[in-house]
This record gives sequence, C-alpha cells and structure tokens, in this order.
Amino acid sequence: MGDVKRKDSKVEGQKIIEAGYVTVNDLKKVGNIPSDEIVERYAVPIIDCLEEIPCTPCHDVCPTGAIVMPTMNDRPRVKWEACTGCTLCAQACPGLAITIVNIPFAKKMFKRDDLALVSIPYEMLPIPKKGDKVIVYNRGHELLGEAEVFSVIKSPKFGTVLVNIVVPRKWAYEAKYIELKR
Amino acid sequence: MSQEIDKRIYEHPILKFERRRPVYILFEDKRIKAYENETVAAALYAAGVIQFSYSAKYHRPRGPFCMIGKCSQCLMRVNGVPHVRTCITPVEDGMTVEFEHGHDAELPTPKQPIHVEKKNIEYDVVIIGSGPAGLSAAIQAARAGAKVAVLDQSPVLGGQLIKQTHKFFGTKESFAGTRGVDIAKMLVDEVKDYDENIDIYPSTQAIGYFRREKVLVAFQTKSLGKYNLLNLKGKSYVIATGAMERSLVFPGNDLPGVMGAGAAQTLMNVFGIRPAEEPLIIGAGNVGVIIAYQAAQAGIKVKAVIDILPKTAAYLVHAAKIRRMGIPILMRHTVQEAYGNGKVEGATVYEVDDKFRKVPGSEKNIEIDGIWLAVGLTPSVEVLDLMGAQIKFVPELGGYVPLRTPFLETTVSNVFVAGDASCIEEASTAMMEGKIAGASAVLNIGFKNDKVEKERKNAVEWLDMFRSSPHYARIKQGLQKVLVQG
Repeated sequence: MGDVKRKDSKVEGQKIIEAGYVTVNDLKKVGNIPSDEIVERYAVPIIDCLEEIPCTPCHDVCPTGAIVMPTMNDRPRVKWEACTGCTLCAQACPGLAITIVNIPFAKKMFKRDDLALVSIPYEMLPIPKKGDKVIVYNRGHELLGEAEVFSVIKSPKFGTVLVNIVVPRKWAYEAKYIELKR
Repeated sequence: MSQEIDKRIYEHPILKFERRRPVYILFEDKRIKAYENETVAAALYAAGVIQFSYSAKYHRPRGPFCMIGKCSQCLMRVNGVPHVRTCITPVEDGMTVEFEHGHDAELPTPKQPIHVEKKNIEYDVVIIGSGPAGLSAAIQAARAGAKVAVLDQSPVLGGQLIKQTHKFFGTKESFAGTRGVDIAKMLVDEVKDYDENIDIYPSTQAIGYFRREKVLVAFQTKSLGKYNLLNLKGKSYVIATGAMERSLVFPGNDLPGVMGAGAAQTLMNVFGIRPAEEPLIIGAGNVGVIIAYQAAQAGIKVKAVIDILPKTAAYLVHAAKIRRMGIPILMRHTVQEAYGNGKVEGATVYEVDDKFRKVPGSEKNIEIDGIWLAVGLTPSVEVLDLMGAQIKFVPELGGYVPLRTPFLETTVSNVFVAGDASCIEEASTAMMEGKIAGASAVLNIGFKNDKVEKERKNAVEWLDMFRSSPHYARIKQGLQKVLVQG
C-alpha cells in the first residue's frame, strides 16, 4: 500500500476545501467570485479550479487574455473587465469546472433585475433543447429548483455542450448541474 | 431459441460507434451476432456472456479482467486454437469459440492447418507499443529519416488513448483540451504520413530477445492459424509497453463481472458495450472518478465509488463532476467481499477508521452486477527485464521500473523506455517521453536532425515544468531514485 499517504501533494485547493467539494465560500476566499459591481456590468466565468495542476486550455482559448496563468501549473485568475462572456473557456475546460454567469444579458433580455443567465457545460444525454424545463443542482447535488433552457450551444470543436439556463439571481453561483425534467 | 441480449450502446453524448459489417460467431453452439471491427471478447460481452474461462485447479468461473491483452482470463479456444486472447482477437464470420477447461486443452485441434512464416528484418529503431509514447517515438525517429518498426499486441493502434473520451489536461504542446480518442487519431495520421519509414505490426507480441545478437523475437497473428515469426534486429529499441491494471485482494475478486476499470472503459468507449448496468467502482482517484463519469455518459447507473482514503487523490475538478451529479462517493470505505452465483451479484463494503481498521458494524451489502477496480497500475517491464535492463522497485512510480538516463536510455545501451512502462503517469507525459526516447534512439545511432534534437529539448523542459505541479511531487521524488547518468 505504498501510495496510501500523499503528504507531499497537499495542495492549496485541498486545504481550502472542507466539504469535499468546492463551495461558493471557498471560491470567494481565493477571489474567484467577482464583486457585485463587476457582476452588474460583465458576464463572468466562475472557475471551480483551486488546485495547481498542469492544465491550460481555458487560458489558451481565451480571445482577450482575460484568463491569466503565468505557468501551466498556476491556477487561472480572471481579469473580469477583459472578459466578453464568449463562453469558450467553459466549453474548453477539461474539468468542466467553468460556468458563465451573465447578469447584464438577463437584465437586457428579460428586463428584470432578479434573474441571471448561467451557462452550464454538459456532456450527458439527453441534451436539453431551448424551452425545456430542467432541474438545477448545486455542487453537492443539492436541489436548487427548476429552470428553463434559454439556448443550447453545440460546438463540434469541443464536444461539450453549453446549456444556457435562466435562474433566479440567488442561484447564479450555485447552479452547477442540470437534469432534463421528464 | 431467441437470445436477444444486446448490451451495445447506440446513443452517446460524445462518441459515435461505427460498427462495420455484421457477422456471426458460434459460442458453445450458440449463434452470436457481432460486428467486424469487434473483438471476440467484446462480441461475447455484448451478448451477455461474462464468463470466459475456468480456473485451472478449482474450476472457478472467470471473466476478462484487463481487456487489453495483458491478463489471461479471457483465453478461449477459437477455431480450434487453444489459449487465444479473445480480447485482442477480431471476430471473423463463422468463428467457433469454446471454453477451455483448465489446462486440459494444450494442443490445437485446428479446422485448418497452421501456417507460420519466418521473417528476419533489420531496422534502425524497433518500438514496442503503439500508445501515446510509442507513436510519439515513432514520429520523431521517422522524422530523422530512420527506418522504424512499431509493434503492438492489439489489432488497433493508439494504445489506451482510444478509450479516453474526456478532454485532456496539459498544454497546447500535449494537445490539452482535446479528447484522448481524437489525439489517437492525430498521432496515427501523423505516423501514416511517414509510411515510407514506419512499418506497423499490429496483433504482434514480443516473446523473446537474444541479448548477444540483439534480436527481438515477435509473433504476429495475421489471422487465426496464420502467423509470422519475426526476428527483428534494431540498432536501437524503444520499449513503450504501458501498464497493467492492479487487482485487489478480497474474497470473490475473481467472479465474472469483476474487472479493471480500464477494461470497463474499453468495453464502453471503444466498442460501445455496457459492461454492467449497476456497477460498484473501487478507487476514487482520477481513474475511478473519470470512469464513473464515463459510465453515466454510457447510460450506466454507478451504485457507488468507494475509496479507503479519507480524501480523494483525484483532481478535484474530476471528482466534482460526479459529485454534483449525485453519484455516491464513499470515502473511508473498502470492500470486504464480493458474492454471487457464477457472476458478481453483490458486494459487502465497510467503513474504516483513521488507522484503516474496520469500524465495527459498518458493513453494508450493495446489490451490483459489476465491480470495477481503479486501484492503480503497474508498469509492464517484462520485455525490458528480458533485454537485461536493470529494474528497481519504486512505489512512487507504480512498481518495478527500469533505471534510466535523463534521455530515457536504460542500463542497456540503445534500449530506451517511455510512457507508463517508465512510470505510471499521464498520456500527455507519455507523449513527451516518447518524443525524448524516439529522438534519442536515432540521435544515438548516428542520425543528425536539428528539429528532432530541438523537439527533445522542448519535451525535457515541458516535463520538468509539468512535474513541478504539487500533484506530481511524489513522482518527481520517485524519478530521483531511478535516474542514472548516460
């Protein structure tokens, strides 16, 4: 049982995480949740990536350099003002760790202040369609409620589908997984 | 007489299973439908056959464990030929497949005569293994102008990349963000661009090595009953034989339905066959959680992923994928036994305390129809041992591994190692090691090529950077124990 203990690989992320999975609080601690002011003005990627692992696709795919990563092992940091909300990082991330929260779009589209558009990377069947009702879960598979699918992005380049759902704003950072309602 | 069990997957979120012409095989007098690009083992599994053999002494039923030609649990008599590895033998129309009962069946009873053709061929570089390491090595060697042979015991090139449906970590240089299946295609295409330099030997097993003559003996199955006995003389060798999945000791671990997680992955992702409907996965490291995720993609309901450790050793983002889906992850849990009548039907699991002792009264029975073991891998170093390379036991690297120079030369001159055979790591590091070994294999025997030399330098630097992640601290430590100067 030579590899039971992994003392040397205690990495920052694992120290932060107490629940066994990332919580919004964990993300706040490391600066992965933007200020309220930013959220009102920009679409923001919420990146659940707290470990120093050698992985760069989100950084490589970003057209505006909004994801900063000096070496392949650094954790991604977002320059919020530089993000255009294009969602490429959410589609590229091998860990499916990125959701995009877009409040400016929800305000413009639905003329409401209490909604958010959240883009969720999805690789299961059946793939939801526009107008479908889905059940929304948080990171610990706790039920948040129901939501409607606003649109679905399918890019053959990534294979990961992006399901855009409209949720109450209070779920914006919590919504992480969906299931099609049958 | 209609047995219409069909475990094939017809809809998948990521993969499209291209099944060629349907054919029929005879298994113990039952007619079973198969497709031309399936192996015998895959076709049997698709038809619901999970017992393939019996143990020699007690005649216990056994099923395949590895599905990649490394174990011996899928050996059957095919067309009268005994001890055929059904997991790497493609189906042919009208094939007969029978059980072997222990060792009572050593001699062939062929329907057709057996042909063996002997060939002696010389190469600059002989590479064993066509996974990410072997193919990357072949590309570098061919780029320098060398004549290269690539051997693989599988009929298909690409090693274990062909079943990796997830997007890879790493950087652009290691095709990060691309799925393993697609990386396999890219590497195979690149190898084919060098078809004047590279000879591919699929379905070929290395079986011996003459040290003084430096000749490798290999056995190629052209089709059942038709074989080539190859004496291959290489000026240099790259051994990229990969790894073998570990088993775990518990009563019932040999029941059909208990298999390596990689074996389940081969069935699900290469052949599009559900290995089980409700499996238990043991091991919540990267392999365990990734396979749980891929099972969900294949429409399989994973009953639980258990691990004896208090915290997962997986990348948190991989573990998070199944956590948010609600697939139960039971940490501090291990298996007591598996039970079932001729096949696995259930398992008893229990909780452990900080000292890995059983928590009294914590036993639970879980009803399942498969157990997938994701408890680590062991480097396949048999050929290196045969060649005389010095081997050392280094737990950090997965077990017995060869000593090597920074350019991956073993203690035998001009014999190189790359990929999981050198150290259990990643496909991306295997590609980089393949580049280094392939480049060195040609540069060492007199080829000159600036581009290849530069690629080698870049690959060495990339690996240094990759392994500076805290996740690879342990591997880095292990590598110090096997490093020798060239």
